[in-house]
Amino acid sequence: MVLPLLIVGVSIIVFGLTRIGGSPIGIYLSHEMNAEEVAELEEKFHLNDPVPVQYYYWASGVLTGDLGWSGVAAAPVTDVFPDKLAATMELAVASAIVAVSLGIGLGTFAGARRDRAPDHITRVVAISGAAMPLFWFAILMLIVFWVGLGWFPIGRSDPTIYGRIAHPTGLYTVDALLAGDMGAFRDAIWHLVLPAVTLGYGATAIIARMMRSSLVEELQEDYVDAARAKGLAERLVLRRHARRNALIPTVTVIGLSFGFLLQGTVVAEIIFRWPGLGRWMADSVLRGDQATIMAYVLFTSVLFLFVNLVVDVIYAYLDRRVVLGT
Amino acid sequence: MTAGKPGLRRWLAMILALAMIAAACTSADDEGGDTTAPSDDGTTETTAASGGDTDDGGDDATGDTGDSDIKNPGLLVHAADDEPLSLDPAGVEPGEGGETVILQVYERLLEIGPGGPELVPGLATEVPTVDNGLISADGLTYTFPIREGVTFHDGTPLTADDVKYSWDRVMTMSLPESAADVLNDIVAETAVIDDYTFEVTLQKASAAFLNTAVVGMVSSIVSQDAVEANGGIVEGEFNEFMQGNMVGTGPYELAAWNRGENLQLSVYDGYWGTPANLDVRIEIGSTPDVRVLGLRAGDYDTIEADPSFIGEIEGAEGVTIFGEGLTVEPIHIGFNLNIPEGALPEEDTIPTDFFWDPKVRQAFNHAFDYQAFIDGALGGFGDFNPHYIPQGIFGYDPNAPVYDAPDPDRAVELFTEAGYCPEGFTASVITEEANLFEVAALVMKDSLERLPCNITIRVLAVAEAQFDDAHAQDPIEYAMWVKNADPFADPHSYVSSYQHPDGEWGEVHGFANGYADPEAVAELIDAAEVELDPEARAQLYSELQFLLYDDPMWLIAGQEGVVAAYRSWVQGWTSNPLWPRPSIKFALMDK
Repeated sequence: MVLPLLIVGVSIIVFGLTRIGGSPIGIYLSHEMNAEEVAELEEKFHLNDPVPVQYYYWASGVLTGDLGWSGVAAAPVTDVFPDKLAATMELAVASAIVAVSLGIGLGTFAGARRDRAPDHITRVVAISGAAMPLFWFAILMLIVFWVGLGWFPIGRSDPTIYGRIAHPTGLYTVDALLAGDMGAFRDAIWHLVLPAVTLGYGATAIIARMMRSSLVEELQEDYVDAARAKGLAERLVLRRHARRNALIPTVTVIGLSFGFLLQGTVVAEIIFRWPGLGRWMADSVLRGDQATIMAYVLFTSVLFLFVNLVVDVIYAYLDRRVVLGT
Repeated sequence: MTAGKPGLRRWLAMILALAMIAAACTSADDEGGDTTAPSDDGTTETTAASGGDTDDGGDDATGDTGDSDIKNPGLLVHAADDEPLSLDPAGVEPGEGGETVILQVYERLLEIGPGGPELVPGLATEVPTVDNGLISADGLTYTFPIREGVTFHDGTPLTADDVKYSWDRVMTMSLPESAADVLNDIVAETAVIDDYTFEVTLQKASAAFLNTAVVGMVSSIVSQDAVEANGGIVEGEFNEFMQGNMVGTGPYELAAWNRGENLQLSVYDGYWGTPANLDVRIEIGSTPDVRVLGLRAGDYDTIEADPSFIGEIEGAEGVTIFGEGLTVEPIHIGFNLNIPEGALPEEDTIPTDFFWDPKVRQAFNHAFDYQAFIDGALGGFGDFNPHYIPQGIFGYDPNAPVYDAPDPDRAVELFTEAGYCPEGFTASVITEEANLFEVAALVMKDSLERLPCNITIRVLAVAEAQFDDAHAQDPIEYAMWVKNADPFADPHSYVSSYQHPDGEWGEVHGFANGYADPEAVAELIDAAEVELDPEARAQLYSELQFLLYDDPMWLIAGQEGVVAAYRSWVQGWTSNPLWPRPSIKFALMDK
C-alpha cells in the first residue's frame, strides 16, 4: 500500500516542479505557428487548465497507457519508451555486473590483505573511481580507447550488424543470442565495454570500499577465530564465513548503487552516444519536453522501489535473522 | 603472506605497460611537427610533417589527403547535431534536422547550385524566365518542363502528375509547423498541361517565387503512388508513413533510420543524373566534444561544427577545417514596439512606447560592440550585417551604410535627445541560455552599461523551451529578445518577414508604431517583390537598406561564418549556406 502512495507522491511533486519552470507548450511550438494554432495546441493538451486539472489528465492518461506526446522524439512516449528502456537497462545491467563483480572482488582482495600494498592500491583505485567526475572519466576513456588505441567503438552497434538480426527484446546482446548470431553478440558486447566500464567504475569504488571495511570487521569477529582454530583453511574461512557476512551491508550498498548507475546513464549515454532513456531525458529537460520527463520520473520511482524490494529479499537470504513479512 | 607479492608486481607491470601504450598512442597527434596550412579555398588542413602533404588548394578542397588508411571506404559517415523529427517535406519545420535528409533524398523542380545563389534545373529541365517564355509576360504563370526518364525510388516514373500532387499535398495538409505557407501564400492554382509539363499560376506576380517556393524543401517532389498507398492526404493531419519513410527521386534513397542511433542512405542506382559515390551514414546524437573526437579518430568523415570547435580541431592530423563564406541566418536582437501594458518584468522601467523613438533604436545600434561579438562569440568567423539582406543574398548592397563599430558618443547623444540619459532605464532581454544568443545579449548589456547613462540591461537566459514559449506569444511580453533569422534564398523573404510593417514580425512587434514612414517601407518591399527586372529590383532593395539604417527595427549582431571540419581524405566537399544545415550535399563527395 505504501509503494503506490510513494509513487503518486513523487509524481505530484515532480509534476508540480516541472510546471514551475513554465508551460510545456514551448516544445510543441514552431515559429511558423500563428496565435490561433498555438491556442489550439494549448487546448488540445489542456495547458490552460489549473495545474491540478492538468495532473488529473496526465494521471488518467497513465492509467490508460497514454504517457503523452514526446516533442523531442516526435512520437507518443509509449511508442519510444520500450526501445530506450531496453538500451538503458542493457547498459545499467552491464555496468552493474562490472561494478558488483569488480567491487566485491577488489573489496575482498583488499580486505583480506589489510594495510598491505594490495590493500593500499585497491583503495587508491576505489577512491579515484568515486572521485573522478563521470563525464571527465568518460571523455578520458574515449580519448584513450576510441581515438588513441581504436580498440572500442562508440554507439550501440555496428549498423551493418544491427540490420541482420531481429530485435524482439531491444536488448542487443539477448537478441543476438536469440538469433544465434555470435558475431552480433560480440559486436553488442564490444560496444558495451566502454560505457559499462566507465559507468561501473564509479559504483565499483563504492562497493569495493564497503566490502573491504565489512570484511575487515568480520575478520576480527570471534567466529572467524573459532573457524581458524578448528583448522579451517584461510581461504575457506574467508569464503564461507567472513565474506558471506560482509556481503550483508554490501548488498544494501549495491541496491543503492543501482540508483547511482541509473543516474549515471544520463551522462554515459550522452557521451557514448547510447540511445537510451538517459540521453532522451537530458534532451527532454533541455527542451522542456515534460511528457517525457514525467514518464522518466514515474519509471525511475517504480524501478527504485522495486530494486529496494529486491535488496530486502536478498538481505533476508543472506542474514537468516531477517524474516520477510514481519 | 608473501605469495601476494609476485601478483602485485604483475599487476603493476600491466598497469604501467597499458599506461605507456595509451600515452604513446594519444600523444601521436601532438608530435612530429604538425603543419597547418591555409589554402586558397578557405580550408586549413593539418597533416603530419613526416608523412603528409598539405592541400593543394583545389576548388573543391581536394588534394593529397595525407591519410593512407582511409576508414570506412565506400561509406561517408557524417556526425549530425540533431535527429530529424520528420522526413516529410510537407511536415518538416524549416531549419530542422529533417531538411538535411530531404535535401539529399528528394529533389525539387529547381535546385540551388553549388556555386552560389544561382538556380539550376532539377526535375524541371529549364529555369523559367520571361526570355525563354516559361514565365508569362504578366509574371503570373510559370511553366515547368518536367524531366523525362526519371524514376522514384519505388521504381515508378515521374510525371507532371506527381509534381502537382506533391505541391497540392503540401497546401492541403497545411501543417502549422511546416513551411506550407510558402506555397499557400503565393500559389493560386497548379495544373498538369501534359505528362511532362507542369504549370503554376500565382496570386500575384512575384520575383521571389523561384527562390523561395520552388527551391524550398517543402516543394520537394514525392511519389504519388507511395503516398496514396500509405494514408494519402488528409487535411491538417500529418502522414505517419511519410514522417519516417522517403520515396523520392534523388541520388540517395533512405536505407534505414534507427532512431536515436543513425540514419542510413544508400546510393540510388536508377538515378537520372550523376550518381553519388558513397553510401552515407548519419550518426545521431553525438555531443560536440564527441563529434570532434570522432573526427580525430577518423570514424567520422564530416561533422557539424561551429566556431567554438576550431580550437579543439586545429592541429589534428588529417583533418581539414573549412572557414569561408557566411551563413544566411543573421543573429538579431529584436526591439518590441508592441509591448502590452503591464506585461514587462517588474524590474523594467522603460515605457511601453520606448522603442517607438528611432533615436533609441539607433542608440542601441551605435552602442553595440560588433567586433567584440564577432571576435569572441564567433571566433572571428563572421562579418557585420547591415539590414536584413544578408551578404550572399541577391539585393545586398555593399555600399549601404552599416552599423559595424561602436560609437558610444553618438549613442549617448541619441539617448540624451530621447530623454533617457543621464536618467537611465532598466530593460530586459530574453534569450536561450548557453549559446551565441546569450553572448549577443551579454555584449549588448556590456556595451550599454558602459555608457554614462545609468542603463541596466537584464539578460534573462532561459531554457530553449521557455524561450520558444515567450517568443511565440503575440504580443511578446519582453522588451527585447535574441535569436537568428530563418535562412532564405531570396531577399523578399527576409524583408517581408523582418522589415515589412505588415509582415510576420512587423505585426507582432508593431513596426508601424516606429517607422517614420511605414507606408514608404511597405511600398518599397511590395514593389521589389513584383519587380521582375533584376537591376530595378536590386535598386529598390538598395533604397530600402539606406532607409533602414536610419530607422532600424533590429540590432543585428553579426552574420555567422560557415565553419566546418572534415577528414582530409574526403574529396569534393562543397558548402553552400543556402542549402539546409549543414549546407553540404553528400552526393558530391568521394573518398
